[in-house]
Amino acid sequence: MRLFFQELVNGVTTGALYSLIALGFSMVYGVLKLLNFAHGDLYMVGAFIGFFVIQWFGGAAHLTIPVPLLLVIMFVLAAGVVGGLGVAIERFAYRPLRDAPRIAPLITAIGISFFLENAALLLFGAQYRIYNTSEFISFSSGIQIGSVNIDSVQIMVVVLGVALMIGLRQLINRTTLGKQMRAVAADREAAEMLGINVNFTIAATFFLGSALAGVAGVMAGLLFNQVTNTIGFIAGLKAFTAAVVGGIGSIPGAMLGGLLIGLAESFVTGYISSTYTNLIVFGVLIVVMLARPSGLLGQAQLQKV
Amino acid sequence: MKGRLVIAVAALASLVVAGCSSSSSTSSASGSTSSATGGGGSGSKACNASIGFEGPITGPVANLGAEQLHFAELALSMDNAANKTNITLVQGDTQLQAAQAVTVTQQLISNSAIVAVVGPAGSQEVKAVGGPMGQAGMAFISGSATNTALTSGTYPTFFRVVSNDRVQGAQDANYIVKNLHPKSLMIVDDQEVYSTGLVATMIPIFTAAGIKFDHESVSQKLTDFSSLVAKVTSATSVVVLPWQVAANAQQFGRNLAAQHKTAVIFGTDGLFDTKAFTISGSYVSAFGPDITAMPADASIASAAQSKYGSFGTFGPPVFAATHVVDEAIASVCKAGQTPSRANVLAAIKQTNEATSILGQPISFDAHGDLANGKFFLFKISSAGKYQLIPSS
Repeated sequence: MRLFFQELVNGVTTGALYSLIALGFSMVYGVLKLLNFAHGDLYMVGAFIGFFVIQWFGGAAHLTIPVPLLLVIMFVLAAGVVGGLGVAIERFAYRPLRDAPRIAPLITAIGISFFLENAALLLFGAQYRIYNTSEFISFSSGIQIGSVNIDSVQIMVVVLGVALMIGLRQLINRTTLGKQMRAVAADREAAEMLGINVNFTIAATFFLGSALAGVAGVMAGLLFNQVTNTIGFIAGLKAFTAAVVGGIGSIPGAMLGGLLIGLAESFVTGYISSTYTNLIVFGVLIVVMLARPSGLLGQAQLQKV
Repeated sequence: MKGRLVIAVAALASLVVAGCSSSSSTSSASGSTSSATGGGGSGSKACNASIGFEGPITGPVANLGAEQLHFAELALSMDNAANKTNITLVQGDTQLQAAQAVTVTQQLISNSAIVAVVGPAGSQEVKAVGGPMGQAGMAFISGSATNTALTSGTYPTFFRVVSNDRVQGAQDANYIVKNLHPKSLMIVDDQEVYSTGLVATMIPIFTAAGIKFDHESVSQKLTDFSSLVAKVTSATSVVVLPWQVAANAQQFGRNLAAQHKTAVIFGTDGLFDTKAFTISGSYVSAFGPDITAMPADASIASAAQSKYGSFGTFGPPVFAATHVVDEAIASVCKAGQTPSRANVLAAIKQTNEATSILGQPISFDAHGDLANGKFFLFKISSAGKYQLIPSS
């Protein structure tokens, strides 16, 4: 049972991370029907911002400010900067192509992804940057239930992740901006005719989705310690898969998809073998997609003829 | 519209600059070697040639690739000065990926001025480029590819200045059995040729010693090992990580600590990184020695430190490989010939250095393997320092 609960903790933690990134994917797809392949690279930028905040305040071993304040600055700065970057990408790379054939913004998204990855390479170099989280958040500060260890970073990631997901859901369901987002996602032209500022709404969607990716990047840095310019690719791929499995365009679907992938990876590694993790996880996901092509919580598209 | 055009052009220019950054060259290979007919040491006639360098200058092990490149450049400058040669280096960035290595190799082969290549770094890359290199008659010497199969005769122009996995795998596995006495261990490969080759050498020794082991396999791109670490039982006292990315092993060590596991990490070559891997109590076996502790290498170590800063064990073997090529070219020139792929290849086969930067002689067997090679074992102290220990 120890292994079961330990893998449960590990899976939920990783799943929360995937869910946060998948949310951004899903939000952007919802309003623009665009697969934003640069999303994983925004996560990478967030992770770098977290790293440099640690360095600005003396480095992991010699912090000049209290840890809670450091964490707040890391998350807020990453969310703000990456959110702003997402808005800029939408304004200059995607908006001019909004009415172009759908393949055009898709290729642009891949180009932006390479641009961000190589820009990070030029700016920060190719070497791994190490957070050294254990220097300022001790392993012993977590909790131990029986022989299952939950370190404080894992707790923080899950709690913050769940809070952000609930907050986002409330924002979309209960605020004017959320209603505007849903209206634009349902029918952009109709929303425009009803007086909704579509450009602002799409920009706000990009800001929120990108900000979540930035926060996820900092979480990943704290959890996995290492940051380099290539970390966005795999994370983006996993998040994209999570969004599709959950039902792309569906916010609860993105959360569920991320959680499922995190748990599946963890349990396959724990109970079968790490050798076959991707094979089994993606095999199961293919079966899920065959059974529910629009994803677990996605809605089937009605074709009007 | 005009502003949008300016932004688009600026973005495109940035992409081009970014793309170019991974394939710059130390010097142009445009110069022909046709005029080089003199002896390298005479000073009366020029001894011109170009050699290629293949290494992971960017990508997940860019720190190792940069170190290898620095030591190749250092060897070249020292040898050019000593032999009065004019050998230039053409860089190729493989990113430790076999496909990228093939592309780089084709570029180097198509450059007729290049007479030999130093690299590539990884065994998987050597396997990918061994065929084209052989067809082109191009000698290539790796300073870090250790897979046993590489010197089975399949790649007639391949050489290496480090020992192979059969030596390292056996030495490391025997050390673990005799000195760490595990009842149970975990061994995790990183799904690359280098790693799986070492594991294949070690497993029979663990089996023969009656040690229970859990063989796992993870991608080199994985950064979260918490699920794997959860499988490390209280009886598992050693985790063997024959990996190429030190930062991954560091994270594995952190995951062990986070889950209060006390297993000792035993890593190989790629983990020798005094900055990226500092888990105290861990062992790292390396094909290269710590030359900063070798009096005979003091001048080289000092030059490298002043020019490039601190370094590990990946640079010195590339220095040795470059030196072998440089000496082969110089000997061709001394014989009154123009360096070509054929005569440089023949000269490399005749290499017989009584000593080297690695503290051991360098000569090659019939298949390009280093004769009488050995490995070095380090233990990381509580202060994170690498200390050389007896490897048997």
